[in-house]
Parts: sequence; structure tokens; C-alpha cells
Amino acid sequence: MIMSRREALLLPVSPWFIALSLLVSLLFSMLLGLSQALWLPDILAVSIFFWGIHQPRRVGMATTFILGLWMDVQQSSLLGQHALSYVVLNYFAFSMHRRLLWFPIKEQMLQIAPFFILSGAIGLLIRLSTGDDFPGWPMLLSPFIETLLWPVANFILLAPQRRAHDPDANRPI
Amino acid sequence: MALESLDRSPPPFFRVGFAPLTKLIFFSALSLLLVFGDKQLQFTKPLRAGLSTLILPIQWLVLQPGEALSAMGSYFQNLDQAQKNLKAAELKVLQQSVRSQQVEQLQIENQNLRQLMGLQANMAVASQTAEVLFDVPDPYNQRIVLDRGLLKDVALGSPVIDAGGVVGQVTRVYPLTCEVTLLTDRDQSIPVLNSRTGARNITSGDVLAGQPMIELKFVPASADVKEGDLLTTSGIDGVYPAGLQVARISHIERRVDISFARIHASPLAELKGRHVLILQPTAASAPNKAKTP
Repeated sequence: MIMSRREALLLPVSPWFIALSLLVSLLFSMLLGLSQALWLPDILAVSIFFWGIHQPRRVGMATTFILGLWMDVQQSSLLGQHALSYVVLNYFAFSMHRRLLWFPIKEQMLQIAPFFILSGAIGLLIRLSTGDDFPGWPMLLSPFIETLLWPVANFILLAPQRRAHDPDANRPI
Repeated sequence: MALESLDRSPPPFFRVGFAPLTKLIFFSALSLLLVFGDKQLQFTKPLRAGLSTLILPIQWLVLQPGEALSAMGSYFQNLDQAQKNLKAAELKVLQQSVRSQQVEQLQIENQNLRQLMGLQANMAVASQTAEVLFDVPDPYNQRIVLDRGLLKDVALGSPVIDAGGVVGQVTRVYPLTCEVTLLTDRDQSIPVLNSRTGARNITSGDVLAGQPMIELKFVPASADVKEGDLLTTSGIDGVYPAGLQVARISHIERRVDISFARIHASPLAELKGRHVLILQPTAASAPNKAKTP
């Protein structure tokens, strides 16, 4: 990938690492959900968006949908609520994946914040329209915390691809 | 011949499946269908039950760090505290033993009187203890998950109580676990009896100043209700056995412009306790109901 600034060439991604990272963020999301604090970020949403940007061919909408269903059953929310917000997130990740990576990380954050807000709003709207009460103002914080996690996700999830591969006599690069 | 040689579809190199927008529309429609089905038609029950059983081992794994922490906390709790707890418990048992001896006598007396008057006998309700696994993460409603399910014969709609009083009602049953909607949930209603006046009311969950409470519905502003009145289950719903403690009235607001009083009561159940009791719904164990087909 051609970058406007100095950027290390990345190794090819391992599908196992993608699966592992999604599983770990699923576990984190389940764990954070148990605390019932409204402002806590949805880590799974961040990694779904991350892989949607970086590997759109590997993490598609079907995967996203199934992960969403899983969260719905685990959180005992309406079936399809998380699924819909993750699918929308994945769609927008796909639609901007060619453009986003040309920007420095701070500007990337500015551009992805609206999509985390949108995905949170979808969940809220579904529940409000089915007759539930607004659960509390702290929940408006969580999309912003998700946005702030973007550099962290970049650091952790790209780490295996940033490894220097071992050059030897036959492969000098 | 000429047409066949003209391949108009893109070479396999560029084939990427459906357009993203098509996929988005398909999956969004599917999600909305599920939302609607889950809320209105209940056809998603088997899907939810199956998935929840599938994710149970992982859920168990996720619960372990918290369990370990609390186990460590209780291990390092000092001896003093433990002895204090023991003393309090002993005192409570002593107080209750006096009362329970009276209850024995009263029960016999009551039975005799009921026989004399030809009333239907109070039924002993079958029950089983259960452990609270966790609070349901969904912030929009108040539910807890217990470690008993279909395999232990938990019936849908069973009342759940703890040491203080009524906790709520079983609203979803999975093979190994069940979900209890707390009585402070918005959608949960219990018919109650004001034990001072004998007036029957219905409650629903409500939040007052950030505290989960229950609200007495449809009480006229002129009704005889005082702060501190004890509400017990009235037993006319065929779900809750009569006489279980539910709540104590804590706030009464009478306004001139509204013909109903706004009455809030704080639940007597601990709601955050570790162990609860699942009762059989009374309609299921009623002898006269069981005979009629």
C-alpha cells in the first residue's frame, strides 16, 4: 500500500490472527457488558470496524452479522439489535476503506467518529421504537471512547504484521 | 457461436460476490425481521435458546475472573467481620425460631378454622433454590440470570423470591439457565394487597431519583394509603402465592390536577443477593385446575 508518509511495509495478515482478535474482543465486550456501566466502549465494534477497513475481503457482513447475533443473545437484548448496528458499521468501513488510510491517524479518528455514533444510535433507536426507556446519558460517551480506542487498535491489531521478517542470505530484504 | 465467445461476465479475478449495498440491505432486513419477531411474534425463541446454550461455556469463562476476585476478597475478609456476621446470623435464627414456633401453631389453628368454614386449603408451594449467575448486561431492562433451567423443571412464569420478599418472575427459560425479570422492571406487574387496609392494587416497575422502585398504579388520590404500608402478594393472579412480602410504600405524591396519586414503594427483596428461591406458579399446582382438562 502506498502511503503519503513513512510507513513500514506490512507483512500479510494471518486469518487466524483476525479470528483470534475478533474472539478476544468478543470476550472483552461480554466482560465489560457484565458491569452494566453505560459509558463503556463496545470493543467488538472497534475491531469489526478495524478489520472492515484493513481487510474488507476477510471480514465480511455475514461474519459481522453472526457476531452481532452472538452479542444479542449474550446481552439478552432484542435479537438483531447489535447485528444491525455492526452490519451498518461494516458497510461504512467497506465504503471508506480505500480512502481512510491515506490520512494521519488523528484525521482518521475524526472521520470514523460519526460511524460509531451512528451505530450506537441505531441500537438506541431500535429500543426506543419498541417501547423501552432511555437508559441514561452516560451511554452517549461510549462512541467517543470507541473512537479514542482507534490508535490502540491500530497499534495492537497491526503489531503481528509489523514484525521484521528474518532476512537471510537468500532473501536480503 | 460468436455470442458464446463474447464472455460478458467479469473474469474471476474481479468477482467479489454481491455488491456491498445489496448485502447491507439483505442483512439489515434480516436484522429488522428478527427484531420484530423477537418483540412481537416470539418466533425467535428456539433460535435464542439454541444460541444461548451454545455460548454458555464461553459465558462461564467470562464470569471466572469476577468469581475469582470475589472469592479472593472473601478469603481476605478479616476474622472480626466473619464473627460479627455469625453473631448476627445466630441472633436472626433465634428471633425467627420464636416466630416460626408461633407460625406452626397458627398454621394448625388456621387450618382448623378453614376446615370449619369450608374454605379451600392453602397449598404448600413446591420450590427450588437457585444461584444468581449475573445481571443481564442489557441496560434497557432489569433482569438476572439463574443457574436453573428446563432440565431442572423451571416453568415459564414461576415466581422468584429471596429472604426479603418477591424478586420477580421467570420470563425466559433456556435448557440450563433461566432469566428472571425483576419486579422493578418497567414491564413487570404484580397484583398486591395493602396489608393494612386490604385494598388490592397492581404495581409496575419504575425508576425514582435513580433508584429502582415499584409504582402503585391506578390508586385514586383520595385512597387510604400511608407511607410505611406493607404490600403483599394478593394471590388472585394464579402466579404468586398469597401473602409474600413485596414492598413497603415510601413516597406518596397527591396532586390537585390529577385524580390518581403517584405512589412509589421500595422493594423488600435484596435484589442483589446471591441465592434465590424459584416457586412453582400456583395455577400449575392448584388441585382443582389440574383436574379440568
